[in-house]
Amino acid sequence: MEFLSFLDLSFFLLVGFGTLVGIIFGAIPGMTATMAVAVCLPLTYALGLNHGLALLLGLYVGGISGGMVPAVLLNIPGTPSSITTTFDGYPMAQKGEGEKALRICVIASLVGGLVSAAVLFLFAPLLADFSIKFSYVEKFLIILLALSVIASLSNSMLIGIFSGVIGVWLSLIGDYSISDGGNGHTRLMFDFMEPYLFEGFSLLPVLIGIFGISTILLEAEKGVKRDVAGERVKIGKESAFSFSIFKGSFTNLTRSSFIGTFVGMLPGVGGSAASVLAYTQEKNLAKDSSQMGKGAPQGLISSESANNALTGGALIPLLSLGIPGDSTTAVLIGAFTLQGIQVGPLFIPENHDTWYVMMTALVLANFVMFVLMFFAIKHIAKVVMVPKHILYPLIVMMCVVGAYAINYGIMFDVWTLLIFGVLGYLIQKIGLEVAPLIIGFILGSQAEVYFVKSLESFGTYSIFFTKSPIALVLWALIAASVVFAIAMGFKSRARQKMELSQMHDPSHTASGKHHDSRND
Amino acid sequence: MASDLLSVSIDFETSHLYFPTLVHWILGILFAVILLTRVVPFMAAVRRGERTLPIIGESRDNKRFFGTFALIIAYFYLMDVVGNLFPYTGYGFLFVSMAFVLLMSLLYLHKWTRKTLVIVAVNAVVAPALVWFVLAKLFTITLP
Repeated sequence: MEFLSFLDLSFFLLVGFGTLVGIIFGAIPGMTATMAVAVCLPLTYALGLNHGLALLLGLYVGGISGGMVPAVLLNIPGTPSSITTTFDGYPMAQKGEGEKALRICVIASLVGGLVSAAVLFLFAPLLADFSIKFSYVEKFLIILLALSVIASLSNSMLIGIFSGVIGVWLSLIGDYSISDGGNGHTRLMFDFMEPYLFEGFSLLPVLIGIFGISTILLEAEKGVKRDVAGERVKIGKESAFSFSIFKGSFTNLTRSSFIGTFVGMLPGVGGSAASVLAYTQEKNLAKDSSQMGKGAPQGLISSESANNALTGGALIPLLSLGIPGDSTTAVLIGAFTLQGIQVGPLFIPENHDTWYVMMTALVLANFVMFVLMFFAIKHIAKVVMVPKHILYPLIVMMCVVGAYAINYGIMFDVWTLLIFGVLGYLIQKIGLEVAPLIIGFILGSQAEVYFVKSLESFGTYSIFFTKSPIALVLWALIAASVVFAIAMGFKSRARQKMELSQMHDPSHTASGKHHDSRND
Repeated sequence: MASDLLSVSIDFETSHLYFPTLVHWILGILFAVILLTRVVPFMAAVRRGERTLPIIGESRDNKRFFGTFALIIAYFYLMDVVGNLFPYTGYGFLFVSMAFVLLMSLLYLHKWTRKTLVIVAVNAVVAPALVWFVLAKLFTITLP
């Protein structure tokens, strides 16, 4: 119980502050939890490890939760993970039940967050214990598995893999570090770049650029329109809510929370996948799903418990394997490195106190989120109206601070923001995928070390298959993810073909409609 | 023997190029496959007029898009220049941020009214000053 001595008043205040700021970010359409963490990073530079963690985890939980506010009130998902919240939340808000809807969401979020925190607490140390025995061969295969899972869950596996490999390529720029057992030579650059890029691009400026600056560029291109102009936030009456709404929702809550946790564990898969999956499962499995999509609490429950369950889930691979579960945890990895923490199998065994502090912060953030949102939702809801012309310049400014201060004042890191802001813009414009690219970038240089070292010590490619039974299991999982992607690809192609043929052949429209209504 | 085919020895002096070369091959192959299965059909659709090219063929708010670009580049550049005039004070960040926030707000503002202009101006002065005070003064974080 030594860790209790780390929990002083400022720890609690920072969790509260982080959660509040996170909620505000999540509530503003277009801003995400990732951005909240990226923008507030400079604040953690001055804080110690435990206080930094308190702030970051608060931001993370708050940011994911905040998305429900505009989803319910304006029919705009504040974060991608709240897409399915709009299906039932907005109809309820239109009926004047906005506050009731939000309160249902808040409770579902709390349950989701706590379930996933419990899974994290029980499961991460086990996984870490298990993976501690991994040699370079298995570590390389784990990274390969992570990349293949992300790619297989992308819209197109081919594009997903391609984006991931580009990320790996970008991570190789710079020297083959002597501290990793390399020879210290640089590659993939011209000589004049060496003063700037000897150690490659810094992780955090790259992430802040891709998530911060490119969002601004994409918005600027569209003319920075006010998408909430003229709309009034309808929050509804206060008295309508009662806990009896949750009667009979136990299965739904549990199922959706576990779906969210599991999806969170898969590397690189965003929150939208979790809530969509939980929502469709509730639709398929519930006794009565006829009201879903027209304002049914059960839809809100499944969507919000799943997306908050992401938080704990995504931290599992991060803390036990060093592989980020989503883009927000990707930024967290950078923040941890900054605090001198190397996440990976050794993290939990070697930093017991930090691990407990993290769990405390995570659970606490969920409760703070609950209290803030449940009682102050009316006031928080107003932030969805903050005009973008005020907000965006401030975001650019905070991005600059984050990038500049990260290595104690290197101007090239600020230019990295712009380089990757533009790159992120182009990537999204030509249809490549950001998530695999980021994960590829984060894991690329480790993948190189593990791969080359394995070959140097064993001298044969066959070692990747024959090293251990675990290696074979990992290959089987990689194959499974590829097969899954191919099967999904065929399925969606078949559906597209059917829709096309229906478009050309009007006699089939009736049956087509029937099919569609069953599908969505 | 299969194991002979798979055996490999890596020269330490050139080991920094081993993995990148492999990545280049994979990138090249993937690019070729994407070119054949995606880009060629897409370009054919563009030629038929069914699809438009990304970026080039899309409508865009040119004033705000290129304005944002110009402002960001000027911001990053001038911050360093002004910062070097007052080293270790963070004034470069403070003053250039004020100008940047003001100009970018004005660029994005759709309706110029007295009220919105006052809000924009106050925000442009207060926000950077607050950030500068908290980070540079209270937390002693390095700023340009």
